[in-house]
Amino acid sequence: MSSQPVIDMCMSARVIVTCGTGGVGKTSVAAALGFEIAQQGKRAIVITIDPARRLADAIGLGEGKGNEIQRVPLDTTGELWVTMLDVQETFDSLVRDTSPTPERAKEVMDNSFYRSLSRSLSGTRDYMAAERLYDLCEDERFDVIIVDTPPSRNALDFLESPERLARFLKHPIVKFLVAPSRGGFRLVNAAMQPVFKAISTVVGGDTLTGTAAFLRAFDGMEEEFSRRALVVADTLRSTSSSFVIVTAPSPDALTEAHHFVSELSRLGITLRLIVANRMPPHFGALAATEEHAMAQSGSGDLARVYELIAGLHDDADKADSDIQAFIQRTSVAFPAVSIAFATELATDIHDMDSIGALAQQLAAPPTQQ
Amino acid sequence: MELHPFFTAQRVLIVAGKGGVGKSTVAASLAQLSARSGLRTLLVTLDEPASGLEPHELLEQITVSPGRALADYLATKGLGLISRQLARSGIMELVATTAPGLDDLLVLGRIKAFEHERPADVIIVDGPAAGHALDLVRAPVQLKRAIGSGPISQQADEVLAMLRDPARCKVMLVTTAAITPVTETCEAADELMEKALIALAPVVVNKCNPDVPRVDEAILLPPIREAYQYLSLRAEAQSEAIGVLTDSLEQQQLHLTQHHSDGTALLNAIADDLEQAIRDVP
Repeated sequence: MSSQPVIDMCMSARVIVTCGTGGVGKTSVAAALGFEIAQQGKRAIVITIDPARRLADAIGLGEGKGNEIQRVPLDTTGELWVTMLDVQETFDSLVRDTSPTPERAKEVMDNSFYRSLSRSLSGTRDYMAAERLYDLCEDERFDVIIVDTPPSRNALDFLESPERLARFLKHPIVKFLVAPSRGGFRLVNAAMQPVFKAISTVVGGDTLTGTAAFLRAFDGMEEEFSRRALVVADTLRSTSSSFVIVTAPSPDALTEAHHFVSELSRLGITLRLIVANRMPPHFGALAATEEHAMAQSGSGDLARVYELIAGLHDDADKADSDIQAFIQRTSVAFPAVSIAFATELATDIHDMDSIGALAQQLAAPPTQQ
Repeated sequence: MELHPFFTAQRVLIVAGKGGVGKSTVAASLAQLSARSGLRTLLVTLDEPASGLEPHELLEQITVSPGRALADYLATKGLGLISRQLARSGIMELVATTAPGLDDLLVLGRIKAFEHERPADVIIVDGPAAGHALDLVRAPVQLKRAIGSGPISQQADEVLAMLRDPARCKVMLVTTAAITPVTETCEAADELMEKALIALAPVVVNKCNPDVPRVDEAILLPPIREAYQYLSLRAEAQSEAIGVLTDSLEQQQLHLTQHHSDGTALLNAIADDLEQAIRDVP
């Protein structure tokens, strides 16, 4: 194992994907990795979804900026850029790119089903994350693309979106809807009848007509759509992509981290790095037992302070052993996985300096914790 | 405040909060405390059952899956076979997409049904993450706009009537005592009250660190001094965050301490904290 796993990863990867549950500091870690890459003289871009407002401010991502790409002012030879994923905007530009004529593009974009498709969060966001990644991979302005996945259990679903899309487009109902209309749905064959009836009951007949109109307008574009998604899927499974799990030492965060480990195994993707973030800090040379003893020998406020310090020490010891247990379990599936530690700061990450401090911690050669 | 009036101030309590704040743990502990106080309690979780919940004769738990809500709905309409076919092909996803929020609405519909069907005094819902809680309660309004009439539109009306009646339903927001989650909680509260017109229960401030008394740093050994400075700084940041919450939201706050256990021990520790915090509410 290398002595500087984070720097090695930053220097060799084309795409870095960070995953983890909410509250573990995933977006901060993604930004810190970008910062480190810029420190090393390369050009990094961090793409994030729905960052917390204060963190967004810290890295220069304001509200309503959509897909706009922004450079973070840094005093480094390399560059750090940040952007958000605007699902609607990404979908619109994809339609413009792939449609045979501007009129067809307009027809698709005016369709009511398309509007709701691009607004709804779940599936569409996965496709668009893959699409945006395709775009950024083609962009020669960036050496490394860091993808900060959303803080959900299903964050890795986007890896499977190409297959899902292909399966969907091959479905007889979709093929039927795409087929040239001859007198509307009255010609629906007997086998399809109950299916259409079921869908219409729930969402209304107009919605279904709108859906059919969309699929017809979209006809032919889906090939390019699928092709790009497959290119992204290949990139993500290649050795030029590195997957990172960010976790905190709390039991609930570690449970979620385990979930991501099994997801990666299931998808056949190698885990490169675990970031143990928000670790309670260790101070000084005393043992926790000595601090507990001092707390008991004193009285009043001073005894209380010793008690709190001993408590912090206990927390730090417990965090260490919980993280070690997690690393051991993970290394069964991923024997080559590296680990980086960062301590919990007394205050929230709120500016570029604290991101830089986090980067410095992550890049430090691992010491015996 | 006594436990009974606290829990029966509304029939349905939707617990919401961003990832990492301990929302599910708080919801499960609330349910445990409510049952312990002698109220028939129903805990509704989304996707997965609560872990570490101790059995209690007054406590029942039900899990609702948003992803399966549409399939379940079709099954109740006698269209189970078709819904299975649709689910396999991925068409179900398409149908859910044609009407964004359909799953959310159907989940709320289930909760509204529990209100009528179940004998529970208290229904506690371990809701989705804060941002998604807004999607969840926005769903009925959006769907009504998209689908003029029919069974879904009627469902949306009934769900809105429940959500907007403070005697029937309130949302309890959970945050931690740091400035980032507090800011997001204030934004969510604003949107829930002003736009969605849904009443809020007291706000839970989870994972609070203990206060640090002031001592003369000079008498501390250097490594101890460093630890003391860290603890003081952390406590200061925490009280600053709580100050922001107090200034922006008039709701009562229930402060819970940070615990390092998990499973049943954690739920019990939080239930004890909750009991204390509720009794401290004037």
